[in-house]
Amino acid sequence: MSDGAYPTVAVADAPPPEIVFKRRIEFLRSIRELWASKELVGTLTERNLRSRYKQTFLGFAWSLITPVTLMVVFTVFLRRVAKIDTGGIPYPIFSYVGLLPWSFFSGAVSSSSGVILSNNSLLNKIYCPREVFLISTITSSAVDTACAMFALLVLFIVNWYAPTAGIVWVPLLTFVLILFTLGVCLMISALTVYLRDLRYGVSIILQLGLFATPVAYSLSSVVPKNLQPAYAAVNPLGPVIQGYRDAVLLGHRPAFGLLGIATVSSCIWVVAGYLVFKRLETGFADVA
Amino acid sequence: MLPDGSLRADHVWKRFRAEKAPRTAKGRLDVWSRRLTTSRGSTRSYRWALRDITFDIEPGEAVGLVGRNGSGKSTLLKMLCRVMYQYAGTVDVHGRIGALIEVRAGIHPELTGRENVQLYGSLLGLSRKDVLSRFDDIIDFAEIPEAVDRQVKFYSSGMQMRLGFAVAAFLEPDILLIDEVLAVGDASFQQKCLDRMRHVLSQGTTVVFVSHDLAAVESTCQRVMWLEQGVLKLDGESREVVNSYRGAVEQMAAVDFAGDTEIRLTKAEVDGAGGTAPATDESLEVRLQLESNSTRKGLLLIGISEGPASPIILVSNQVAFNGGATHDIRCEIERLPLPGGRYYLWVGAFHRNQDLLPWHPVASFEVFGPRLDRAPSAIVRLGPISLKTNWDGI
Repeated sequence: MSDGAYPTVAVADAPPPEIVFKRRIEFLRSIRELWASKELVGTLTERNLRSRYKQTFLGFAWSLITPVTLMVVFTVFLRRVAKIDTGGIPYPIFSYVGLLPWSFFSGAVSSSSGVILSNNSLLNKIYCPREVFLISTITSSAVDTACAMFALLVLFIVNWYAPTAGIVWVPLLTFVLILFTLGVCLMISALTVYLRDLRYGVSIILQLGLFATPVAYSLSSVVPKNLQPAYAAVNPLGPVIQGYRDAVLLGHRPAFGLLGIATVSSCIWVVAGYLVFKRLETGFADVA
Repeated sequence: MLPDGSLRADHVWKRFRAEKAPRTAKGRLDVWSRRLTTSRGSTRSYRWALRDITFDIEPGEAVGLVGRNGSGKSTLLKMLCRVMYQYAGTVDVHGRIGALIEVRAGIHPELTGRENVQLYGSLLGLSRKDVLSRFDDIIDFAEIPEAVDRQVKFYSSGMQMRLGFAVAAFLEPDILLIDEVLAVGDASFQQKCLDRMRHVLSQGTTVVFVSHDLAAVESTCQRVMWLEQGVLKLDGESREVVNSYRGAVEQMAAVDFAGDTEIRLTKAEVDGAGGTAPATDESLEVRLQLESNSTRKGLLLIGISEGPASPIILVSNQVAFNGGATHDIRCEIERLPLPGGRYYLWVGAFHRNQDLLPWHPVASFEVFGPRLDRAPSAIVRLGPISLKTNWDGI
């Protein structure tokens, strides 16, 4: 049997360097693509929520149970141990208003750490902008938080306490909250693919973060005034959560100086996270 | 701007890490420290999965992709559906891609069949309305009307596969990439899939079809690309490429065969009638010379194949071997029913479950004669048999 029947193709050992593929980050195109797949984000969110609560007896009630439990624990134990100045607000409401944004943030971040890996089967087979998986974890967490707001309503009624007109500031505060969450999620989700330890690291950081963020206490009672700007830069959640309380419960304007710092810091997170995500994205299918 | 449904690869290279450092902090630290201590670049070793692949697929073309395991077929598909990125070169894909890279591609086990169709549809970039309008067709095709609202993890693997194929094929993508998935369904479903593929092709969808089922590839695709160790070895008319590939498969089988056996084959010859070249509908003579270590009985098998180990024709006879003696065995096939083409002679000898002489290819030969009529696409002829036919009333 001779080998001559088939043409043997001579191929170099390596590609010429000038054709090596360089990924250009085309921001506008990515955004357009992302906008085109907005329905996909909706479907994925629905899938996340459905598959999470499928075969559970309490179903969506679980999204309420976690923050409510924490609120009860804070109210029963923490308040006894530490003197917490709530400025006259009933403590359950005080802590619950802090817990809502926190649970949104921590829910999104903790599920984003595994989102690329757990959607591996899709990522490896079908093309879609990779960001949709991440955004859908954020929107799922948002839906959970919206459900959890039901308990806030009950708390308002039980304590006969009404939100103030400062509620108009909520969209602005929520915007900063989403910005920061998005930035952190972009960073974490991309890095976890390459560094799986992060997954566990993230859960510890989130547990500590609950106490490093003014959820159970107020920002001003723990962080000295002159350190507050630095604190806001490191943890933009601080001024945001404080802002929610000031606006919704006390009717004050949010502290714009601190909020400004928080916004700038969040923007830096988003830009850095986006660059890291886009840079690492090309390898997701190879590694995951 | 290329039209929708076209695929183009231009000098595409892809490599994977050969060192599989664990993706943990410790594993990374080890790698980094090694990289620091040794000279730059030497610790990173890569394995080329694809090398210098260039091709151009027009809209509406059906292209088969064949090659041995690990030759880079799936990697190439993944780059075509933009899931993976090339190391070098450019890949241009225009149009909506329906990909079926694995049986359960995109099928989420926790969701019901209905939800999965919806999800897959949005992944392909269809709106809810578009998906709904095709929903009944998909469910009918997948033969799962009663299971639509059951979670997919409770489906049988056949049902999952049918759902996957139905969704990918019915959502009318511009490009359909299919990777060795039809093997799961039963015979009637396989035929249904091939019918559907023909329909999809007739609507101008580009199809790239990866399969080890060469007959199916040959029948669905006009063009076949043969990948060998990451290199595009041959790209052309399907019959031609598939035949070359079959020949190579047979050669590899011959190479894999090691000689130390109970019975040895010392000569193998194939001739046509009266020492001429073999021809269709003429007699064929196979002459074998065998030596045996011991005196024993054995079943001698002679097969003719187009390359792979599954023969088109298989004949056998009991042979009483004498230890140390040389046996000249002649077998005449009175009328060879094979059309013109290149064929391979396979020989083996067995006694109960014992291999006296493993089944392996021993010679190749050309048969002269008429070629077979071409079957319409997606009708798979299992083996080429040439028959004399008489027709009336046409």
